[in-house]
Amino acid sequence: MDLETRLGPATLRVWGLIANFAGNAALLYGAIGYVVDGSRLSWLLVGGTVTLVSVLSLSSPSR
Amino acid sequence: MVTESPEQGEPSEVLQLERLRQAPPLRRFAGYFRLGGPGFMDAALTLGAGTLTAAMLSGATFGYKTVWLLWVSMGLGLFMMAAMARFTTRGLGVIALQDRYHGWVIGSLMTALIGTAGVAIVFNWGQVSLGTYLMELLADRLGYTFPQQWNWIVYVALTSWLTLSYGRKGRRGIRFIETFMKVSIGFMLLAFGACLMVTGIDWSAALHGSVVPWLPPGGEGLDLFVASSAAAIGVMDWFLFNYAGRARGWVKAHEPLAHFDMSIGLFLPFILVNFLVIAVFAETLLPLGIASDAAPNELAERLEPLLGTSWAPVLFYLGFLAVPISTTVGMSIAGAMAIHAAFGWERDTSSWRWRISALLPQIGFLAAWYDRPVWLVIAIGAFLSLTDNIVAWSMYLLLNDKRALGEDRCRSRFWNFGLVLQITLLNSIAIIYVFNRLGWWFE
Repeated sequence: MDLETRLGPATLRVWGLIANFAGNAALLYGAIGYVVDGSRLSWLLVGGTVTLVSVLSLSSPSR
Repeated sequence: MVTESPEQGEPSEVLQLERLRQAPPLRRFAGYFRLGGPGFMDAALTLGAGTLTAAMLSGATFGYKTVWLLWVSMGLGLFMMAAMARFTTRGLGVIALQDRYHGWVIGSLMTALIGTAGVAIVFNWGQVSLGTYLMELLADRLGYTFPQQWNWIVYVALTSWLTLSYGRKGRRGIRFIETFMKVSIGFMLLAFGACLMVTGIDWSAALHGSVVPWLPPGGEGLDLFVASSAAAIGVMDWFLFNYAGRARGWVKAHEPLAHFDMSIGLFLPFILVNFLVIAVFAETLLPLGIASDAAPNELAERLEPLLGTSWAPVLFYLGFLAVPISTTVGMSIAGAMAIHAAFGWERDTSSWRWRISALLPQIGFLAAWYDRPVWLVIAIGAFLSLTDNIVAWSMYLLLNDKRALGEDRCRSRFWNFGLVLQITLLNSIAIIYVFNRLGWWFE
C-alpha cells in the first residue's frame, strides 16, 4: 500500500495520523474507566487495536 | 558576524570529517567531540530548571525506580533528532519547509513564534528565578549577603553577554558558545558527581531502577509515563538543533557528525546529569520523606545540611547554577533564530534586530520580584500541550515527503516506527490535556 496515495483532501499517511490520534483518544478514555472501576474495556481494546494498526502502517516509508 | 549560509560547509571541516572517518575509534571520537556543538547546546537547553526539578522530585519521592524513564524518553526523542539531522545536513530549514508544504500556521506560528520564541520568553522566568535564588544561597554560604533583588543584575549581564557572543567574530563566536555549553555540562557532571561521592550510592537499586520499568499505580503512573516520555525534548530542541547546525554550515558530509552530536552531546549528558541528581536526592531526601509539590529552591535548600562537608554544598550550588545559566543562553539564541526564521529575516548576529530578538527572554529578570504571570504560563502550557503533536506530525510528513527531500527522504521502517511512537505519546499529552479540562481524567 502506497501511503502517498491521495484520498479526498489528504494522503493516506495524513489519514493514518488522524486515525492514530482517534485511536489514542479511545485508548486513553478506555484506560481511565478500566483503571478506576474496570469499565470501558471495549474502548480500551478498540483504541489499542487502532493505535497498533496505525503505528505499524505509518512505519512504512514512501516508495 | 554570522549570516545565513546554509549551503556552505567549511571545506576544511569536511576534509577533517573525511580523515576522521578513516581514523581509529578513539581519535575519531575525540575529533567528533571537538567538532560537535548543536547537540551540546540542545542538552544545555533541555537540562533546565523544569527538568532538574522533575529529577529532584523523582529522586526524593521514588528513589531510583523511575531512572529507566530517562533513557526511554531520550531514546524515543532521538528519532526526531535524527530527522532534524537529515534536514540540517541537506541545508534545509524546517520553518521554511513547513511554511511551504504545511502552511505558516504550523511553521512560522506554531513551531517558531510560539513553540520556540514564546516558550523562551515565558520559561526563562523560571531560569532567572532559580539562578538568582542559587546565587543568593551561594553568597550566604560564603558569608556574604547578595539578595535576588540585586544579584539579578549579574545574572542578566552574564547571560546577555554570553547570548550576544553567539556569532560574534564569525564562527569563532559560535564555537565559543558551543564550548561554553560543553564546559557547563562537564561542570554539572563534576559537581553532582562529587556530591554523590559524599552521599554514596546504592548501586543495586540504581541498576534495578535503570532496567526494570516501574510506575506508581493508577492515574499517577500513567501521567508520569506520558509526561516524562514525551517531554524530554520538544519543539524548541528540534528547532535549535536544525538552525544551530545550519549556522555551522553543516552539509551532507556532516550527517555522521550530527548523529554523534545528538548521541554524545545530547543523549548521554541528559541521562548522566539527570541520573546524578536523582541519585543525590534518593540518597538524602528520600529517607526523610518530602512533599511532592516542593519547589526546586526549597529542595536545594533542604539538601544543603545533608551534604555535610563545607565544600559539597558550594559545589552543588555552583553545578546547579550552570543549569539555569546555560538554559537561558540556549533559549535566548533559539528564540532569536525562531523570530528570524518566522519572518524570513537574514540571520545577522551583528544587527540590532538580532540583538533585540535574542534579549527578549531577559524580561524574566522580573522573576527577582514577581512570579510569572499565571495566565501566561497556563496559556503557553496549553498551547504546547495541544500543538506539539501537530508540529511532530509535520516533521514526520516532511521526512517522508519526496517533494521536500527527494531521494534523501526516510527509507527506514524502524526510523518511521520510532517517530510514530513519539507522535503517539505527544498525541496523548494533547488528549490528556483536553480530558483534564473536561473533568474526565483522574482526580
